[in-house]
Amino acid sequence: MKHISWLGVGFLTPALLIVGFLFFAPVVMTAVFSFTNMSTATGISGGDYLLSPNNLDEMQAHGVSQKTLDALADTTYQVDDHGLLLLAQEFGTEIANELKERHNNDIFKNRGELERALKDMKHRIRSPRDRKKAADLFGTSILNQRFTSKVDFITAVIQTGAVQADIPAVTSVAYTGWQWTTNNFKRLFSLPATWRYALNTLAYVTLTLVFNIGFGLFLAISTFYMPEGFANTFRTIWFLPRILPPVLYVLMWKWFTWDTGFLSTILAPLGIPAQNWMMQTSTHAWVTIILINGSVGASLGMILFSSAIRSIPASMLHASEVDGASRFQQIRHIILPQLRWPILFLTSYETLSLLASFEHILLTTDGGPGKSTEVWALAAFHTALRNYSGNLQYGYGAAFALILVAIGIAASLVYMRLFNFRDLVSKPRIER
Amino acid sequence: MKIELRNFTKRFDGQAVVDNVSLTIESGEMIALLGPSGCGKSTSLFSICGIHRMDEGQLLFGDKDVTNLPSQKRNVGVVFQNYALYPHMSIFENIAFPLVVQKADRATIRRKVADIAELVQISDLLERKPANISGGQQQRTALARALIRRPDVLLLDEPLANLDAKLRLEMRSEIRRIQSETGITAILVTHDQVEAMSICDRIALMQKGKVVQLDKPREMYANPANMFVAEFLGNPPIRFMPAELHENQMIAGGAALPRPQHLKQSNLPDKINLGIRPEHFGPQFGNEISGHILAIETQGRENLYDVALSDGGVLCSIQPANDHLNPGDTIQWGIASQHLLAFDGQGERI
Amino acid sequence: MPIQSRNFKAAPMIILLSLLSLPLLIMCFYLIVDTITNTQPGTLIPDEITFEHWRFLWQTTENSSANIWRVTLNTFVFSITTATTILAISLTAGYALSRLNIPFRRFFLSGLIMLHAFPTITLIIAIFLILQTLGLYDSLIGVIMVKSALELPFGIWIMKGFYDNVPWEIEMAGVQDGASRFTVWRKLVLPQVQPGMMALLVFSFLTAWSELVLPLVLAPGNKSQVLSVYLATMLADESSIDFNLMKSVGLFYVIPVIITYMIFQRKLMNIYGGGTKG
Repeated sequence: MKHISWLGVGFLTPALLIVGFLFFAPVVMTAVFSFTNMSTATGISGGDYLLSPNNLDEMQAHGVSQKTLDALADTTYQVDDHGLLLLAQEFGTEIANELKERHNNDIFKNRGELERALKDMKHRIRSPRDRKKAADLFGTSILNQRFTSKVDFITAVIQTGAVQADIPAVTSVAYTGWQWTTNNFKRLFSLPATWRYALNTLAYVTLTLVFNIGFGLFLAISTFYMPEGFANTFRTIWFLPRILPPVLYVLMWKWFTWDTGFLSTILAPLGIPAQNWMMQTSTHAWVTIILINGSVGASLGMILFSSAIRSIPASMLHASEVDGASRFQQIRHIILPQLRWPILFLTSYETLSLLASFEHILLTTDGGPGKSTEVWALAAFHTALRNYSGNLQYGYGAAFALILVAIGIAASLVYMRLFNFRDLVSKPRIER
Repeated sequence: MKIELRNFTKRFDGQAVVDNVSLTIESGEMIALLGPSGCGKSTSLFSICGIHRMDEGQLLFGDKDVTNLPSQKRNVGVVFQNYALYPHMSIFENIAFPLVVQKADRATIRRKVADIAELVQISDLLERKPANISGGQQQRTALARALIRRPDVLLLDEPLANLDAKLRLEMRSEIRRIQSETGITAILVTHDQVEAMSICDRIALMQKGKVVQLDKPREMYANPANMFVAEFLGNPPIRFMPAELHENQMIAGGAALPRPQHLKQSNLPDKINLGIRPEHFGPQFGNEISGHILAIETQGRENLYDVALSDGGVLCSIQPANDHLNPGDTIQWGIASQHLLAFDGQGERI
Repeated sequence: MPIQSRNFKAAPMIILLSLLSLPLLIMCFYLIVDTITNTQPGTLIPDEITFEHWRFLWQTTENSSANIWRVTLNTFVFSITTATTILAISLTAGYALSRLNIPFRRFFLSGLIMLHAFPTITLIIAIFLILQTLGLYDSLIGVIMVKSALELPFGIWIMKGFYDNVPWEIEMAGVQDGASRFTVWRKLVLPQVQPGMMALLVFSFLTAWSELVLPLVLAPGNKSQVLSVYLATMLADESSIDFNLMKSVGLFYVIPVIITYMIFQRKLMNIYGGGTKG
């Protein structure tokens, strides 16, 4: 570019920084996380090395040799300060001191050897039962021992006599931090629940969109045929779903559909038993979330379509009336064709937002009853950020989210072509 | 079909925009509603086609009272100022629309559209979209759409306003040709007096919601009912100057002139206004009036002269083009006294 | 001249739409009535007036241990700071993208549209972890930063739209008169986009005020809680559901929204409608 405006560069920098750090970086990180097994259990930063008895079975499955497994399961006995301290407390300092003198840092392959050593001392422990107990104080196993550094862990593993070739596998099982993996996507594509979520999302987006556009059109067109005062009143009313905070809007619906709420109360005299009209069955839940989300979108549609209708030249409407068109014909032949672009625009815009929206469903049904209204975005949220088991699977949730990112990018590329991005980018007319 | 408006009044927000207008248009006649903007001519048109409802009065198409019928049931063809073509439909679909909404069968639609397209000479454009044809062609399309149902009356709202000067002349005669070929009663709304005079049988000149004069164009030009009409018709416009009537002469423009034949009655007021059209002032009419030339405007075939008279008044004269005179020159010219128009203090014609 | 002709009757439309609007109107009506009355189960007509449902204002309730005034203050701080941040950054960035020669201008503009495709859920997991690492988890600052960043693409797009509508001639004249581009922006252009600034400020305030998911995930604790989370916590606890209490909290929560809506209705409809163009 010939002329660069440094003012422009300066003006843009704050936005670039914020968007870069809190918008772009998270997207990249989502992509990165989706290839890890990060969860509450693994933590976010690095982890420790810890083998538990349970891990032994797991290692066998990973093909670790029996010899190594035995070696790891083995307990060795080493005379160390920690053991000596315990010994002193239990059996007196004299015994402890003598053992330290004779066998400091010695390693015994099994308990019998250490017991024999204790028996051979001047200040010996008489009862075999006590000797056994004393020897146990020095028992160490690599199992259930936490190592903060990889080197220490490997040294300890070698000390147990494990086979060299098995060490990488052992280390990887023992590591408690997160690891790189493609399992998230394998899981995603293999679990039937995933397809359930995908189908739910498809149904949710399609049905809500139809309601959005249909009811939005109805609101815009019906208010168009009213005197200004009435039209404004209705537009104000139907703008409420969009302007009210979702929590409050859902609260109002919850009251309306609750088993002690409005619908149940008003229907009681008709002999219809009180019930939760929102959550009774999955059909109830679906109807509710479509009405709730649909009316929010319809508010937007109403405004968009209303202004589009207003921009139709009055003479065109007059001409059609003079030409003999009834109201229905006027809507079908004159108004709707003029709304083609706004409808297309709203469809594309709402498809993307609905695909990723879960706020209202979270508040309304939280995916229930069962998982019948669990949509993709909500599943991601539940997996990674809020669930009842308490194990938040960040990596797996990120994989869910990454699919949405991919769809989003693809869609916006299509939209840019569709809505002629070039037209939006006119060159500055002052060339400095 | 004969169209009759009786005591028509239309108000917006309590303000009468059209005030007690009665008008009869003979069958096959083309009449112009002429007047400055805001005079109520468009409102009248919209009321005749039913887009506005009449607050008072009656509208008759032939013997049928259509006052309370909606537009759809009136059988009126309208050509709107911006043509109001439907941009998403082809020319064919635009023209066919009035028949489509009547649910006419396809063959009929095809035949009628072909006929009317031939009449307005756009047969080869039928597949195009309105955005892809010229202004004049759009105009013809709008005409075709208005005529396709064979309306009882054809309404034209400033049909030439959006065309350039050359096309305007062409379409002017086209509209007249098509109207007389179809024989449909037509109402032309316009603010352009040339347009009204050149193609209409009669002109209804409106001012402030009333029809001030209804007459044949030539008649209205020669015998305007008041100063407003006199000034509205004619380009360059008529000029006025005050005159004092005396026994045998009158003082006007700083000169004593003989009282013209048609102003000889004795019951006239002493002070009147004289209207003099540019073609009635010049050297060929004598030399009673003196003045000097303020400005000369060349129009090619003719020159326009603004002449300041000795009493401060200004007259305009139109003469065959020549180079004899320059601004500042003094002249001694006369007026064609038989064409003088006299108005009283209220501006009414004497 | 009115746009609508009188060829079609309005009455059928008005009646139909009134019927359809009824549920919404009932919800709104009872939202207000239920906060100051008690109603016996099985009926819809209140039988006594009471202020006990507003007790959350002076005591902590069984549903929430947070202090309502602290929460309200948090919400105001959150919304106002977020709105001003968004406005300030959008004002400069929007101008740069609309009017100035900057490298990669096309790229930035298409990026701006692309960013719309990354909704909250695609970012919040990573942001949750980032904030935990930075130590900004469960703090207002964290949520403010995140909310501002998420709304920024929209804000910049809106401001760019307003700048696009300022006639070039104004700027050309300013430059001819010897002013720098910065002065031109500050003295000549900013006054022209004042309605846009106002609209964006109000809009950002309202979206922040209504925001639930971000604070719910990033700042759920009592100290940094905002009203939406406060109410959502009550709403989620289905074991002791008390609609009168929740409606009172809800009404308390929505008052600033309603006031703003009433003052700026026309402007807001414009930005909600026109703001999504492109």
